[in-house]
Amino acid sequence: MIEVRDVSRLYRRGVDVVHALEHVTLRIPDGRFVALMGPSGSGKSTLLNLLAGLDRPDSGEVIVAGQPLSGLDDEALAAWRARHVGLIFQFYNLIPVLTAVENVELPLLLTALRRPERRRRAEIALAAVGLAHRPHHRPQQLSGGEQQRVAIARAIVTDPDLIVADEPTGDLDAKSAVEILELLRELNRAFGKSIVMVTHDPRGERFVHDVIRLDKGVLVNGTRATAAP
Amino acid sequence: MTWRRLVWRNLFRHPLRAIFTTLAVALAIFLVCAVLTLPAALATILERSASNVRISVHHKAGLTYWLPFAYVARVRNIPGVAGVNHFSWFGGIYDEPKNLFPNFAIDPDTVDDVWPDYGIPAETLARFRAVRNGCLVGNATMERFGWRIGQEITLRGTIFPVNLTFRIVGVIPPGVGNPYVLWFHRKYLEEAMEERGGFGNVGMIWIRAERPEDVDRIMASVDALFRNSEAEVASETEKAFIGSFFGSMQAMIRVILAVGFLCVGAVVLIAANTSAMGIRERVPEIAIMKSLGFPRRAILLALVAESTTQALLGGLLGAGGAWGILGALAAAGKTGASAFLGPLGSFRMSPEIAGQGVLIALAVGLVAGFVPAWNGARLPVVEALRKLF
Repeated sequence: MIEVRDVSRLYRRGVDVVHALEHVTLRIPDGRFVALMGPSGSGKSTLLNLLAGLDRPDSGEVIVAGQPLSGLDDEALAAWRARHVGLIFQFYNLIPVLTAVENVELPLLLTALRRPERRRRAEIALAAVGLAHRPHHRPQQLSGGEQQRVAIARAIVTDPDLIVADEPTGDLDAKSAVEILELLRELNRAFGKSIVMVTHDPRGERFVHDVIRLDKGVLVNGTRATAAP
Repeated sequence: MTWRRLVWRNLFRHPLRAIFTTLAVALAIFLVCAVLTLPAALATILERSASNVRISVHHKAGLTYWLPFAYVARVRNIPGVAGVNHFSWFGGIYDEPKNLFPNFAIDPDTVDDVWPDYGIPAETLARFRAVRNGCLVGNATMERFGWRIGQEITLRGTIFPVNLTFRIVGVIPPGVGNPYVLWFHRKYLEEAMEERGGFGNVGMIWIRAERPEDVDRIMASVDALFRNSEAEVASETEKAFIGSFFGSMQAMIRVILAVGFLCVGAVVLIAANTSAMGIRERVPEIAIMKSLGFPRRAILLALVAESTTQALLGGLLGAGGAWGILGALAAAGKTGASAFLGPLGSFRMSPEIAGQGVLIALAVGLVAGFVPAWNGARLPVVEALRKLF
């Protein structure tokens, strides 16, 4: 269960104060595939960063799998992310000097696993996203869709409780975008992972359980959403 | 995937930049090693060319003042003296003024008494004694002018108003003796000077003591012998005499050392700038690693490991290169190339200096990499991610 309790986040830009999120409260049960949607500047990515433990709210509380994130200092939060969160970005953000399988293996450097086991798990994750045949290709040798698949494999290789994806189809053509959305849905179905995805892509709605809509930092309404009162 | 591989891959992400930076560190460490070897090289030269049982006696006022020739016979009678010879600086030049080199009028009969360690063959000394205008020449000077044994050469006097023609009868072997010097008969100079008022002085007297323990007593006796005379003398061991010349080079050595370390300082700045540039370019990747859960300390260590690995490679290359090149020069110095190499053949790098060079390189890597790595590792993850999008 992901719980967001009366969370506000504001940014200061010079003398201006921007309310990125205002008193947002919601719950996402385990195993749900949720889309955060809304116009630019609505606070989608801010909420995603808070759920992933990348940022801290100015007020309110974020609780993921029973863990209140505000109780963790920076180092503990990093360790928590490494164990519990898989991240997928719009521009894939693979390390260009590493091969596909090495990119997938990267988060496992933070575990106590031995090298052969790390490699074995990375290969399994790569196979799960349909890239078992291209383990030794560098990112620049892969298409956008393939790079995003590698990024997804990197997100799932640590077997996290929560996968967060920030515009995962934003940089892809229509065909690749649908393939990635299908892949995320398949991962959600097959492994029961909770997935929270920020997207502008209206096609995304067809693949998710719930849509949470935000506008100007406040929760507006949801389609099958479980926004708490 | 290992941490080591991650560091290595990042290090050579821009191969040309990595190679040039490594070579810059290597060159600086090479210079540092060569410069640190300099004092030891001078000590080696001194050790090789000077004796503890040879005493130099010169005018107390300085080397440019003459002593009466009669002093030579008087010091010969001091107990413990094994041999006496003398130098009179002729100051002759060969062909052109730039061809100035040390040439002395000496006593051909007592060369082996005073310089037995020079290893001049007996037949060469016999030839030297027999030929009135004969001369012995150091191997470096022989090679410098392309002279050969049996050749006649003329030196133009700059102190004495005479030009003298010599026949080269032998070479002072390389190794122990002075490779630049030319020795000729004092009597030959005296004869040439007869019509110009004669020559009854001597520039310096060389004494060889029978035993090292006699040296201090002999020097005291010599000084006492001519005290309160019109030409008081100062005596010192050959080692101290040559060492005083090297002593005057200490300031120069300090300058060279300072320049060497300034080179290292410049390389630190270059490496730090390269390191900072590399880390700035990789802020997005650092952000990704932080978002994946990599702690600040791990990122700091990985980034510092890159700069120290690069510096270590440069250090090993520089120290290894210095070791190899100076070793090769030293080996060549033991062969016939010694005259060509001159003092370079005396540079021998100790393992300690090689170790110091590598340690300096490591320090360069740490200093150059730490600040940019610290800044990179401290970057808040959300702020770093914003730079990404």
